[in-house]
Amino acid sequence: MPELSNDLSNITHQLTFTLNVIYDVYVIIIMNMSQVLPDVQLKKGSNIMVYGPAFTGKSMFVRSIFREFIRKGYGGIYVLTRDSAETLMEWLDIDYSNKYVKIIDCVTKSMVGNVKDSDSIKYETVMDLTGISAKISKFFEDFWRSGVRDIVVIFDSLSTLLMYMNLQTVFRFLHILTGRVKVAGSVAFYIVEDGMHDERTIATLKQLFNGVIEFKEENGKKYIRFVSSFTQTEWREIVVEENRVVVVV
Amino acid sequence: MKVITGIPVLDDVIEEIPEGKILTYWIDPEVEGNVFAMQTLFTNLERGCKCAYTTIAYSPEVAIGEFNEFGWDVENYENFSIVDLYSGYVGLPSNCQYNASPTDIEEVNEVMKKVIENFDVVVIPVSSVIDVCGEDSIECIGEWYDFAREKESRLICTFVSWPYPEEIEKFVKNNSNAVIRVGGVHHRVILGYYYGVVKVDWKNIKSKAILFKLVKPGGVRAYIPKILVTGPYNAGKSTFVHAVSMRAISVDRLGTTVALDHGHLEYKGFSIDLFGTPGQERFDPILKMLGREALGVILVVDSTKPETFPRAKQMLEAVAHFGLPYVVAANKQDLPDALPPEEIRKKMFLPEDVPIIPVSAKEGDGVYKVIDALLELLTGSWWVKENEPEVST
Ligand SMILES: Nc1nc2c(ncn2[C@@H]2O[C@H](COP(=O)(O)OP(=O)(O)OP(=O)(O)O)[C@@H](O)[C@H]2O)c(=O)[nH]1
Ligand SMILES: [Mg+2]
Repeated sequence: MPELSNDLSNITHQLTFTLNVIYDVYVIIIMNMSQVLPDVQLKKGSNIMVYGPAFTGKSMFVRSIFREFIRKGYGGIYVLTRDSAETLMEWLDIDYSNKYVKIIDCVTKSMVGNVKDSDSIKYETVMDLTGISAKISKFFEDFWRSGVRDIVVIFDSLSTLLMYMNLQTVFRFLHILTGRVKVAGSVAFYIVEDGMHDERTIATLKQLFNGVIEFKEENGKKYIRFVSSFTQTEWREIVVEENRVVVVV
Repeated sequence: MKVITGIPVLDDVIEEIPEGKILTYWIDPEVEGNVFAMQTLFTNLERGCKCAYTTIAYSPEVAIGEFNEFGWDVENYENFSIVDLYSGYVGLPSNCQYNASPTDIEEVNEVMKKVIENFDVVVIPVSSVIDVCGEDSIECIGEWYDFAREKESRLICTFVSWPYPEEIEKFVKNNSNAVIRVGGVHHRVILGYYYGVVKVDWKNIKSKAILFKLVKPGGVRAYIPKILVTGPYNAGKSTFVHAVSMRAISVDRLGTTVALDHGHLEYKGFSIDLFGTPGQERFDPILKMLGREALGVILVVDSTKPETFPRAKQMLEAVAHFGLPYVVAANKQDLPDALPPEEIRKKMFLPEDVPIIPVSAKEGDGVYKVIDALLELLTGSWWVKENEPEVST
């Protein structure tokens, strides 16, 4: 695909090599897809898996994506199964009254018992898939009614769900969630840990996604790439910094 | 003792849940429908029944916390017990009298049967049991259904309709004496919630669908959907509202609406409030205020006046902000120069999937087709289809 790679190199030249570049390039991949590959409709409604071994920067990457989307005026829904809402808000350095950020915290309730929901933070337990699903849907409605139509969803991470529930159950849950993202024309990213699940699980999950952002580590160096059934980028070397992922030039 | 659902309107329709009956709340996966089972349980607990609540996806403490959020202090009732299928699963000790680990389905089976025998009302999250214990557990669940019938206990089941294999859905449906659907009003996102009776085998009932909101504290509260009837000046909005309503009032001056048209109609089990807006531009703020409250929009256009279409389009954009579903009533079709719907679609640049219904509000032709089209958008066609036989009556 000479056209696509041309596009990409142009853009990467113009921008600095931060994580946001990857994000920008990525979104531009999505945006351009319909021109470059007219038979592919990835644009809005995409569900993307973020896959790689532990400590390769996946969480940092999706958090940065999330922050970028919010800055661009998107409504953001963040589902947490490993960190508390408090931790995330601190990292994002965003005011609690920010109406563009909505969080579903699946950690706090099972640690400290009942916590009161607020407009922007809801508490669930990780096994209560119906509760999580209903809350995500409620957030979609809130955004929708307040005129926010562009929505990004982050799910960090599916691996936690798979620790508690069998693949079939998680698959059914994702079937509904990815369907909602598609119908609402949003974008969603789901983290999956490499090394925690068997091949069949990964293969089954992949059916639900439009593409995968892969991370890997080799000889102490970290890499990232994007793969879908239509396109694949080169592995790029990255460095994970305190609050972003940077591509090494 | 008489056992009831404790859900508004539902109790008027089905009156009571007789002994040995299984009532299933059939819940859209994106809707917080568990509250229905909790409300049924608490209502009967207050009436003095012995009630058990099964929890599998979260701890007994969290379960009680959820009751408390709605203002239901279950923990203060001696007749209340929790069946704890959670603690054993996550490796914690349980302090409930009735508990089992779902990894051992035989143990679960034994405990559940004991509970069914000893309680008047037992809440079972059927789909969660399937989710945690696997699809094979449906056999066990079948045994509980049979056992409840035999012991004349009542089961209140929740079934979240994730995409399960059809056999499972059929099995649950066929084994339930009553099925109450709890659904979402889908339009790109879910904009509202409703419940309706799908099946009751002990009573001949007329279908009902009710929109609801969840109130904390309070629980399930029925409400009447507001439908906005908008359109350019003189398009026939007031005439339309009067044509479909059982009772309606308009605040008109010199033949034009200066405040609002308000009509009420009972249709296919829905109670609907229609609000006709004034067509003149200076009333746009009212339109905005109503848009925030409404669940759907009917745009009335005068099919003989294409010069008013740009204004109609502009009014649509005003309500589009709220993301509401809408249908177009192509009015005054009785006049010879009325444009057909497809012509109007082209002239107004409306997408293919927007229903445009030819009507004559004056003659009353086609006006209910407009309501049908909107209900279909609101309930994902399920309700309109299920109730088709009623249309003719
Ligand atoms: N021929 C014909 N005339 C209609 C029809 N519907 C409404 N009209 C006439 O159109 C005129 C306006 O009708 P209204 O119902 O008052 O229109 P409106 O949209 O409420 O008008 P405003 O409130 O002033 O914006 C009246 O003279 C009606 O009799 C129809 O289906 N056919
Ligand atoms: Mg009028």
